Formats: sequence, structure tokens, C-alpha cells
Amino acid sequence: MALQDFLDQLDELGTAAATAFGEAVDTEALEAARVTFLGAKKGRLKSVQQQMGSIEREDKPTAGKAFNATKGRIEATFEAAQQRSNSTASDSSANNQFDTSLPGTTFRCGNVHPITQTIEELKDIMGRLGFSIVDGPEIEDDWHNFVALNIPDDHPARDPLENFYLATADAISGDKDPVGLLLRSQTSTVQIRVMEKTAPPIRIISLGRVYRPDTADATHYPMFHQIEGLMIDTDVSMADLKSVLRLFATSYLGDDVTIRFRPSFFPFTEPSVEADYYWNGQWVEFGGAGMVDPNVLKAVGYDPEEVTGFAFGLGVERLCMRRHGVTDIREFYKNDVRFLAQF
Amino acid sequence: MLVSWDWLKQYVALDMDREELENRLAMSGLNHEGSEPVGSDIAIDLEVTSNRPDCLGHIGVAREIAVLYNQALTLPSPQPKTSGPDVNTDFSVSITAPELCPRYTARIIRGVTIKDSPMWMQDQLRTVFLPANRDWKPINNVADITNYVLMEAGQPLHAFDLGKLAGGQIIVRAAEQGEKFAAIDHREYELQSEMCVIADGAKSIAIAGVMGGAETEVSEQTVDVLIESADFTAMSIRATSRALNLHSPSSYRFERALDPAGVDWASQRCCELILEHCGGVLDAGMIELGKSTWQAEPIVLRLSQVERILGIKIDAAEVRSILIALGNAASASTTESITVIPPSWRRDLTRECDLLEEIARIHGYEKIPEDVGVPMAASFRSDEDRVAEVIRTTLTATGFDESLTGSVVPLAWTNQFIPWATATPLRTISPMLQGADALRTSLTPSLLEVRRINQSLANPAVELFETAKVYLPQAAGLPVEQKTVGLTSSGDFYHLKGVIESLLDKLKITTPLSVAAAGEEFDGLLDNQQRCALLLGDEILGFLGQVSKPGLKAFSLKTAAMVAELKMALLVDLATLIPQHQNLSAFPAISRDLNIVLQESVRWDQLQATVEQAAGEALEAVGYQETYHAPDQDGANTKRVLLNVKFRRADATMTGEEADAIRDTIVQAIAANHNGKLLGV
Repeated sequence: MALQDFLDQLDELGTAAATAFGEAVDTEALEAARVTFLGAKKGRLKSVQQQMGSIEREDKPTAGKAFNATKGRIEATFEAAQQRSNSTASDSSANNQFDTSLPGTTFRCGNVHPITQTIEELKDIMGRLGFSIVDGPEIEDDWHNFVALNIPDDHPARDPLENFYLATADAISGDKDPVGLLLRSQTSTVQIRVMEKTAPPIRIISLGRVYRPDTADATHYPMFHQIEGLMIDTDVSMADLKSVLRLFATSYLGDDVTIRFRPSFFPFTEPSVEADYYWNGQWVEFGGAGMVDPNVLKAVGYDPEEVTGFAFGLGVERLCMRRHGVTDIREFYKNDVRFLAQF
Repeated sequence: MLVSWDWLKQYVALDMDREELENRLAMSGLNHEGSEPVGSDIAIDLEVTSNRPDCLGHIGVAREIAVLYNQALTLPSPQPKTSGPDVNTDFSVSITAPELCPRYTARIIRGVTIKDSPMWMQDQLRTVFLPANRDWKPINNVADITNYVLMEAGQPLHAFDLGKLAGGQIIVRAAEQGEKFAAIDHREYELQSEMCVIADGAKSIAIAGVMGGAETEVSEQTVDVLIESADFTAMSIRATSRALNLHSPSSYRFERALDPAGVDWASQRCCELILEHCGGVLDAGMIELGKSTWQAEPIVLRLSQVERILGIKIDAAEVRSILIALGNAASASTTESITVIPPSWRRDLTRECDLLEEIARIHGYEKIPEDVGVPMAASFRSDEDRVAEVIRTTLTATGFDESLTGSVVPLAWTNQFIPWATATPLRTISPMLQGADALRTSLTPSLLEVRRINQSLANPAVELFETAKVYLPQAAGLPVEQKTVGLTSSGDFYHLKGVIESLLDKLKITTPLSVAAAGEEFDGLLDNQQRCALLLGDEILGFLGQVSKPGLKAFSLKTAAMVAELKMALLVDLATLIPQHQNLSAFPAISRDLNIVLQESVRWDQLQATVEQAAGEALEAVGYQETYHAPDQDGANTKRVLLNVKFRRADATMTGEEADAIRDTIVQAIAANHNGKLLGV
């Protein structure tokens, strides 16, 4: 037997004994627990001791020392439990003081993941601004992830190294001229699916997991969450976009903020901008935005002469990290319960 | 793109404050990443989006400044003096891979003197190269001049030592598969057949558009030079530099759509500077193969679209002057529209909406208001969203933390446990994280991995749930993405079952929960006894079970773990999101305890069904209390089940006699159905 396994067993035994002694309600139960753990013939401590034989020679001194320590600890715990049991009878005596400063009996409550908390808050705000939440598939085809979004064949965004294409794509598409299936790289795919099925006006938020082959480090993770808004109507302009983003940011931050646009470039919007908000004396990046490209409107069967629209998107992790002071994105997916308990 | 403050001055008057300029550039499309002094000069780092390769040279940036500040732009117009013989007489170029190189030009200068380039040029090059490469050093006058023109116009050039080119010719061809090449960085690269190379009569001398070769580079011994200015296919250059992990200022620019007029301009500019600083004689004419197929098309901008898209009115005269200042040629205009032909360096301008963006960014996005009245609209919350919230609130209230784990997992995990489908899991071509390339078909392995991580941190109380998709391949068509609730607990079977029952209760699901034997697909990971399929009515809701010893071992877990998964769609279907009020009886309930001796094989759900049927309408609840064994009194294979029944009448207080009568009916039914008998009466 490996030394570590032996030590782990001792550890476990110590904890289990303490729990059993603590839970024993009367002398009888305590005696039963004593036999279970400290019984001279069939006690659990005894059976662990018997395993010492199979420990490597050079590990024996360490194992022996650890065994004695655990034995001492279990015996001490038992004695304490015994004394407590003997004294229970006198606890109700009028001489004893009722100590209101002792800790209460707490309930264990779980925590909602900080990413979910952020998403729910964003959904709530956008809901109040008249945007409905829509969902769509994470495994997407070429049309919804690229073509309909005005991303041409030779665009770097289509590079196999920039996407998680599925290895079995050919087999499952069943198509003679198979097009690659992939894990969506943006949630705009959902907007295409909604527009294909719905006539304007449209006011939606799509959100969920997206996937891009970034090496995991403090600020990157190959899977993250995106939230994207889309508004299409007969007369939607960039002034509407700026105003909606200002209301969004103001609601989220709880104080009046101002929005700034910087020119940017995205295939699915024209003009394209980066939106920033002014907060605590500095400009903070909010996300990408722009007027829906006429090619996208045409791709879903809308007439760009009839309707216009805006779209915007932001990364949930980045927003959540800034709001809660999280410095490493990997913490979100490690799920250390101490981390989860902080939110 | 790093630009030099001193360098820009030769094209446009920089009489504005530098920081103000940096800010205006950022607000008009060239995001300011930072500035740092280099010698007495300043290097300004500007982010250039992929649609603006014209700004990958100082001239492009200077043009933006001139437009923003309404200043004159002074550009060189190279006219190198040719005094040598026709370049085509004793040198030739051929292209055997036109799909990789649509256009190639060459000029030859003979009798150059190789020495250091002029100080001002070295200084300006240092400003734009040193911040990114602390080892950067000037090379020699010819090489520095090609780099200078690269950074001036954005058009990459290459200078070959003509004396080292075998056979008096250049062949632009596809590389041979596995061909070895020693580049200027003195490293050897293995080429692939999709890559484009420049070769002389004997062998390849450059990886086209990416990097030149060590053997033919210009050195102190060089007398005659050949200046290459060409256009290589963007996708090919991108693939090549990626495959070789070799990224150069040249490849970066060729990956974008360069100015077709820049090829000849840069070649002439380079020759002019070489004649000026290195001496020599330029051969007449140039070798030119291929032509740019790009043709500027007129674009009509309807003035009404400015307000429609941007949301602000902009004066027609200003619209026009912005477009002209950016280099567009006005071809026609009416009171409703302006027609322009974009310049060759702005191949990104092809549509009306492209012009609208130009107008917006130069006019200034800050002029777009942020307080217009967007009309109100109703928004809708989906049933799934409502159910997801009940799941979160109930499970956190019962002590569970929500976790989020990756959708793509190691293949071994999907092989180990396939509760929802038997088809082979989908795989990604490249792994998401090390060893993870299978789209998960169950949440359980991910949750067990989280248990392991928490165990390694000695964290107590690992109670977790996750609501996420599993990806179930289908025989044909897209896979089913099934939203699933996964749970794992340190408690026992009945604890986790109780949590699930509480959840169903909170969702007001009235369809009864039942259990069925879990199939052999659960062998291995789950205990043979403590596991079951969960059903709501006839539909499978999911499964519940204790992780088996081998299962714990597979995930390196030291302590017992329970797991369960539930199909979210069924919860959504059966949840009562708008509960209806039921009239409550105004009379008290009365209850009876029953201690029944039964055969061990009688299950609780069978007993419960008998009680419910026998008790009739007055039964309010039947509660399980305890099972214990007394084989000495009752015989082998028996058990005692203690249960409680609660009765209530809607119209009157139920009497003890009435309750006893119903109890007796129940006892008779239990005797008849299960051969059980009541104790203690």
C-alpha cells in the first residue's frame, strides 16, 4: 500500500470518528460509536493498523507516527464526547447561563454562478428596454455563422485555426457538397435565425456560449459568453443605437453615463463602431456595435430600402470580471466552491 | 502600425497638439494604443482595422490627418531618371502560378555603392521598428530604402543582389513539397506546395511576399540590384506565414487588399531613393507581368440616407467635401445625390453604406445624440427562462452551487458514460483545451471533475448543479442540443432524490414522479443498486444514482458522490407557471399512523398506490416515515414500513370513527394486494 493512501485513510478515519462521536445522542450510541472506531478486535482503527504490514519498509516510521497521532486524536475526541455526555444532565440547571452570543444554526445556501448573475442582470435590463431573449443552436453551419453575416470565403474569420470546426461535419450533414459545421464563434447566428423566420420589427437579445480557439490565460478562454442585441424597424438609426446603449449602461451602472463611438470594422455592420461608456473618470470599452449591413438584411430576405437596424455585442466574462474585480477568466470555469461562494 | 512623428511632418503640417491629434485619430478610426519617445522622435502606435490597409503606411495616416484638420497633403511624385539599357534585354521574369501571384514588376539598378543609409532615414526607421524589436538595427542603404518605402506607402518591396541570380531570370512558382529554404533570418524553412516562391534559374530565392533568402540579399559586395514590387494573393500569403509561423511587415500587408496603383509607385519611389543615396544607373522601363483586375466603380450616395442611417442631418456641402478630401473623385451630383469614384487605395469603399461610414467618422460620431426617444415595445420572457429561474432559486436554496463547465471534454469521458444517446460523440478538429475534443454527451463527468478539483483543495461540501447543453448526434441532420440540469451531491441517494422532488414541487409539476430500472448504459459509472431512471408520467426525465467504486476511481474521488441529470425541456413542458387557486377546506385534518409488516420485495411506490386507491377522496397526504426489520418476530424477508396518512373532509370535520374506518379500508387493501398486515392494533 502506498504511504499516501494510508495517510489519507487515517485522515478520513479521524474525521469520521469525530463526526460519529459528535452525533451520538446518548451514552448507548456513544458506546456503539466507540466500538466501531476503537473496538479492540474489529474497530476501524484496528483494521487500518493491520494494513501497516503492507507499507514499504522505508515508509514505516512515517506511517507509524501518523497512526499514533490519529489514534491519540480519536481517543481524545472520544473522551471529550464522553464528558459532554455525562454533563448533559446538568445542562438544564438553573445555574447555567443562556449564552445568546453562541453562533446560530446556519443553513447552507448555494450560489448562482457570477456569469449567470451577470447574464440575468443584462437580460433583465434589456427586457425593460423592450428586447426579448432568444436562444439558438451552438453547433452552426456555414450559412448562419458566416455567409449570412456577410463574412466572405476568403475572410480570416473563417480560418480553421480561428474556429472549432467539427471533425464529423461531412458525415452528418449528409450533403453531397458538405459545408463545415462548427461551434458558433458568435451569437449573431441566432439573430440570423430569428430574422429568417420573423418579419420586422425585431427587438431581441441573443446570448450564450461561443467558442474561439484562444489559448487559455488570465484574459482568454476558448469558451465564453456573448450577449448581442438587434433592433430592426422602418427608421432605426445610429442615434437610436447610441440612446439604447446609454440607457443600457445607465441601468447597469446605476448612474447616468455617456456613450462614445469609435470607428471599427465588422463584416456584419456598416458603419461599425466600438462603444465606450464614461465611468469613474475614464472611458471603458463596452463592446462592438453598428448598423446592420445591407447584405445581412438581404441575406435574411429583408429589403434594406424598407428597414434599417442596429446590432451590438459584448463579452459577458469581461463585464463580469470588471464588475466583480475578477482578474483571471479561468476562475469562472474551475468552479472552486470558495470562489463561487464569493458572489 | 507604428508611425514616426518626424516622418509624418514631410507630408502634412503637424502644428496641432500631439495628444489632441492622437485622440482625434482614435475617434476617426485609428485607435491610439500608445506613444513612446525614440531618440528625439516619437513613435505613435495606431491600431489599423483590416479594412484599412491604406493606413499601413505613413502616407495613409498623413492623409487622414490632412482630412481631419483640413490641411494640405504633400506627397512625393517619384520620377527616377533612367539612363541604362532596356531592362527587358537581358533579364526575364515568368509567372507559373498566376493564382498565387497575379502581378509582378521588377526594375534593375546597376553600379550601386552599398554603405549606411542617411542618418535621417535610419532615425525614422528606428522610430517605427525599434519599439517592437529592441534588437532592430539599420542594414544598409538599399535594404533600408526598401523598408522605408514599405513604411511610407504600405507596399512591400524586395531588393535582390542581381549578381547572385542564376540564369538571368526570375520564376514565380509554387514551392515544391518539402522544399528547404534558408531565409534572411538565417533559419531554414520547409515549404509546402501551396506556397508561392520566387526562384532564379537554379533555385528558390524568396518566400514570396513573406521573406527573402539569405543567399541573394543585398550585401557590401553587391553591385547591381533588382527591385521587386508585386501583388501576391492575400489568402496564400496568410496561409504561408501561418504555416511557417513567419510573420513579417510584408506578409502582414499582403494579407490585406493593397492599393493596385501602389505597386508601380513604390517601385519608382524606391529606385529614385536608391539613385539618390546609393548611386548607380536605372535600366530603362520595367519588367511587368500581369495587371490589376481591380476597377473603381462609381458609388451613388443619396443624401437622404445620411439622416436615415446616422440619425443626424449633415449639410450636403460638408458631405461632399469629406468625400473629396478622402480622395474620392466626384463624378456627378444632383440635389438628392452625390456620385463618386473611390481612389485605388480605398478598395474597401464599394457601397453607399461605406460612404456613410466615412462621412460619420470624419464629421464626428460625437455629434450623434444619445437621448433620442426610442419607442417603447413589449418584451417577452420565455417559459424556459422562467423555469431556469425556479431551478436556480430552488437548488441554491437547497445548498447547491451553480457551476459552469466546458462543453468540449476528453473523449474518454464521453465513452465512460452515455446516459442520453449511444451514437458516437461529435469531435472538434482541434482540441478546445488540452486533450478535450469531444462534445459532451453528459454533464456528469464534468461535474465529477469539478468535485475532484475541489477535493484537491480540501473544500468541504461540494454540492453542485449546472444547466447546460449536451450534444447528441443523430443518424442524419444536425445534432440535438439538449438542455440538461446536472446535479452532484455528497449526500445519499434519498437526499438527492429529495432535492429533485423539491424542485418538481417548486415547478408545480403535478405529473407524478416514478422510477424505473436504469439500463446497462449506466454500468461502470453508477452503482448497480443505488441507481434508477426518473420518469414523469411516461416520459423519461433523467436518471439518479450513486457513483460506483470504479467510477470514483476513474475521477480520482475519495468520497462518495451522487449524480443526477434531468431533461430541461420536460420540466418546461410540465411546469405550471401560472398556478390556479383551489378552494381550501375550512375543517381540520386528522391523521393515522400505520405500521405495516410486508414482504421485503414490496416497493414503496406499490404500497403508496394501494393506500391512495383505498383511501379515496378524503386522503390529503400519505407520508413515508421509516422502514425497519424485525425478522425474529416477523420472519425472514420481511420489513416493517411505518407510514402516516392524513384525511380531511371538505364539508365537515372528520371524526375519529370516520378516520378509523378509512384506515381499516386501507389495511384491508394492503392485506389483499400485498399480503401485508397492520401491527400494534
